Amino acid sequence: MFPYKAYAGKWLHVDLTARRVESHPYDQSMAEQYLGGNGFGARLLWEHVGPEVDALAPENLLVFSTGPLCGTLVPNPGRMEVIAKSPLTGIYGDANAGGFLGPELKFAGWDAVVVTGRSDGPVYLAIRDEEVEIRDADALWGLTTSETEDTIRQLWRDTNVKTAVIGPAAENGVLFSGIQITPQRSAARCGLGTVMGSKRLKAVAVRGHGPIEVADPARFYEISADLHRRLRANPIFEAVSAHGTPGIVSMMDALGRFPTKNFQMGSFPGIDSLDAEALEARAFVRHLACFGCPVACDKLYTLPDGPFAGTSLRSVEYETLNAMGAAVWNADIDTVLEANRLCDELGMDTISAGRAISFGMELWEQEILNLDETDGLPLRWGDRDVILTLLERMARREGDFATLLSRGVRRAAETIGRGAEDYAMHVKGMAIAAQDGRAQKSMGLAHVTSNRGADHLKAFPTIDETGYPDEARRRYGEAYLPEMAQPLATKHKPFLVKDGEDFGAVVDSVGVCKSGGTFVLAEIYWEDVAAAVEAATGMAMSVERLKQIGERIYNLQRCYNALHGITRADDRLPRRFSEERSPSGNAEGETIHVEAMLDEYYALRGWDQETGWPTRAKLRELELDEAVDALDLSPDRQSLE
Amino acid sequence: MQLRIHKEKCTGCLICTTYCSFQHERAIWPAMARIRIEAETDSGPFSPQVCRQCNAGRASQGALSPCAEVCPVDAICINEANGAWTIDAGLCTGCGACEDACPFGMIVFDGARGLAFKCDLCGGDPTCAAMCPSDAIEVRST
Repeated sequence: MFPYKAYAGKWLHVDLTARRVESHPYDQSMAEQYLGGNGFGARLLWEHVGPEVDALAPENLLVFSTGPLCGTLVPNPGRMEVIAKSPLTGIYGDANAGGFLGPELKFAGWDAVVVTGRSDGPVYLAIRDEEVEIRDADALWGLTTSETEDTIRQLWRDTNVKTAVIGPAAENGVLFSGIQITPQRSAARCGLGTVMGSKRLKAVAVRGHGPIEVADPARFYEISADLHRRLRANPIFEAVSAHGTPGIVSMMDALGRFPTKNFQMGSFPGIDSLDAEALEARAFVRHLACFGCPVACDKLYTLPDGPFAGTSLRSVEYETLNAMGAAVWNADIDTVLEANRLCDELGMDTISAGRAISFGMELWEQEILNLDETDGLPLRWGDRDVILTLLERMARREGDFATLLSRGVRRAAETIGRGAEDYAMHVKGMAIAAQDGRAQKSMGLAHVTSNRGADHLKAFPTIDETGYPDEARRRYGEAYLPEMAQPLATKHKPFLVKDGEDFGAVVDSVGVCKSGGTFVLAEIYWEDVAAAVEAATGMAMSVERLKQIGERIYNLQRCYNALHGITRADDRLPRRFSEERSPSGNAEGETIHVEAMLDEYYALRGWDQETGWPTRAKLRELELDEAVDALDLSPDRQSLE
Repeated sequence: MQLRIHKEKCTGCLICTTYCSFQHERAIWPAMARIRIEAETDSGPFSPQVCRQCNAGRASQGALSPCAEVCPVDAICINEANGAWTIDAGLCTGCGACEDACPFGMIVFDGARGLAFKCDLCGGDPTCAAMCPSDAIEVRST
C-alpha cells in the first residue's frame, strides 16, 4: 500500500504494441528516492532504456510524469515533465510544460503515464478518470496541434478536456518536434514529440474529476497561503506578472546576452521592435495563467492588421522573440508571432527551429552554401519569406535542405562539412537557447553541464543574470557577494550552477514552475519545498534529504549519459565563445573559457576530473550502487579515490 | 455579504477553485468547488460564476432564494451573520431540487455522497476572494 498523500498513488503503463493498458501502484521507494516528475522518468529511463536502444525504436519510453505538489495549493503547481531518450541528442532527454494537463491527470487519478512500444496505426490515449482506452486516431493524423485538440473536444463534447498532442512535424520525423500541452504550452525541447510520433501516438486526452488529498491539511494550507503571500510581495512580482518573459528582452540586450545573428553579437539594433513594450503595444489582449499560478506571466496576443491580421496566440516567450527575431536578424514582430504560431501548430520547438534557420543564414553569409544547396532559397538575414518558408518546409520535410535542417544543427553541420561545424551553435546536439556565456559566465558553464545538452533551465542561474544581490545574500550569505550577483564573474559560479541543477531537479520532480517562485522570483527555496512536500505527502523531509534527492537525480542522469559515451570532452562550448570576443553591451570584449569552472564544478560534484563521470564514492553516497556496476567503476579507474 | 466579480481581471488560474474546494472538502478538488470559471476559450475571456445569494437582503422579511424555496426538507437556511444561504448537510436528502431550481447553475451535486453543496461564503471570510491574485473577486457587505 502506497503510504503517501498528495500523489494519486498509481501510474499507467500503456503498451502500444500489445495495445494494452495497465495500472501500477506508485512505488514507495521511488517516491522516497526520486519524488516523482523528472526523477520518476529519469529512473525509469535508467532501468529500461539502455544505450543499445535507438531513441525512435519502440523500446524507448515516453513518460508523462507529475509530482506530489502538482495540482495542489502551492503557487504555480501546473507543471508536468515529459521524459524519453532524445532522438535529437541521443542522450537523456526531458521537457517540461505548464498549463493544465498535469493537474488534470492527477484529478483523474494518475501520477504518470508511461508509454512503450509502437502502434500499427495512429492512435490516441483517452483517459476519463479510471476509464482508459487506446483509440484509433486515423482522423487526427496529419492535423495541426490545435485542430487535433479541437477535434477531440468535439468528439467528447467537452471543452474541458486537457491534451498533449503532436503536430505534423513529429509525424514527419523532424528531430526537434515538441508536444503541445493545453493550452498552447509546449514540452518543446529534446524532440520528445518525435518520440511520440514514432510510437504513432497522436494525443493523450485527459478528464479528471477526483480529489488530491494531503497529509496535513492545516499545515499545508498555511504553508501554501504563505508562499502565495510572499510571491505577491516579492519586489519583481509585478514586473514578471505584467510582462512575462518578454519583459527581460531589453535587459538581456543591454547585457550583450541576447544572441543576434547566430551569436555573432549579443545585442540587436532593432531591439525596440522586439521588446515587451513593442509586443504589448502591437498585440496584447489579456493576461493568462497556468493552473494555480498567481504570476500569470502568459498573455494572449492578437495581430490587429497587417499580413498576418488575426494571428492569435499565447505563450510568446523571450526565447521565441530571440529565436525568430534577433537571432535571424528580424525586427518585424508580426513575423515573430506568425513564426511562433506556425511552430505551435506544426509542433516544433521554436528554439531549435529558429537556430536551424540562423545557422543556415550564417552559412549563406559565409558563402558555405549556394542556391543549389538551399533548394533555391537565398538565405538572407531577416528575410520574412525565408523564415516562414523554411519553417513550413522543415515541418513537412520538403526538399533536401529543409530536411537536412530538420535533423538539427549538429547533424546538418556534419553533413555539410566545409567548416559548417563552427557555426552550429549547440552543446551535445542541443541548440543553445537565448543566452551567451560570454555575457554571463555561469550560463556558459550551465550550458555544458546540463544533462539534456545546451540548456539554461537545468541550472537556471538567475541570481547573477541581471544581478540579484538581495537574493544572493538571502540564499548564500554575505560571503558570496559581490561576485555571486555579477554576470561576468566566474567566482562561486560552479557552486551556483551545481546548487541550481540539484534544486531544479527537485522543482521539476515535485511539479512546480521555475518561472514562478523558485528561480525567476528566487523566492521559494530548499526549506520551502521541503516543508511543502512534508505537509502534502506525510513523508519526513528535511532540507538535507531534499538536497540529496536533487543530487541523486542529477547524478543518475549524468550516469545515463556516461553510458551513452558522454565524457568531459563533450562538456564544451562551440569555438565561437572562446575565440570571438563579444562586440556587445556589457559583455564587450569578453570571451568564455569553461575549463577552470569545470574543474571546480567536478570537484564540488565529486566527479572524476578526467572523465567527468561520477565517482564510486559519490554514487555510493547517493545509494546508486547499481550505477557503479553499470559504469564499471572499478577502484583502479578512479583517479580521485 | 456578497461576492462581486470583475471578470475582466480573471486570468483563468483556478486558484479560487482549488482553495474553495480545500476550504470545504479538505482536499484539492476543483470538481467540488462552489465557484466555477466559465471560459469562452482556453485563453479567455473568463467569467467567474459565484452564488448570488438571491434575496438574502430580504431574508429577514421572509424572502427565500430559489434553492431554499424548493427544498422539501428546509435544509437551506440563511446565515444571518453573513447573508449566505447555507445547506445543512445533516438535513439534505440529495433530491436535487435545488440544483434544478438555481437559475445560475451554482449548486454542486455529488452523486457519490448523495448530497448537494453550495457557496456559504466560507462563514464570512470567502477564501476565493482572499486568494485571487488579480482581485477579480470582491467581497461587498450588503
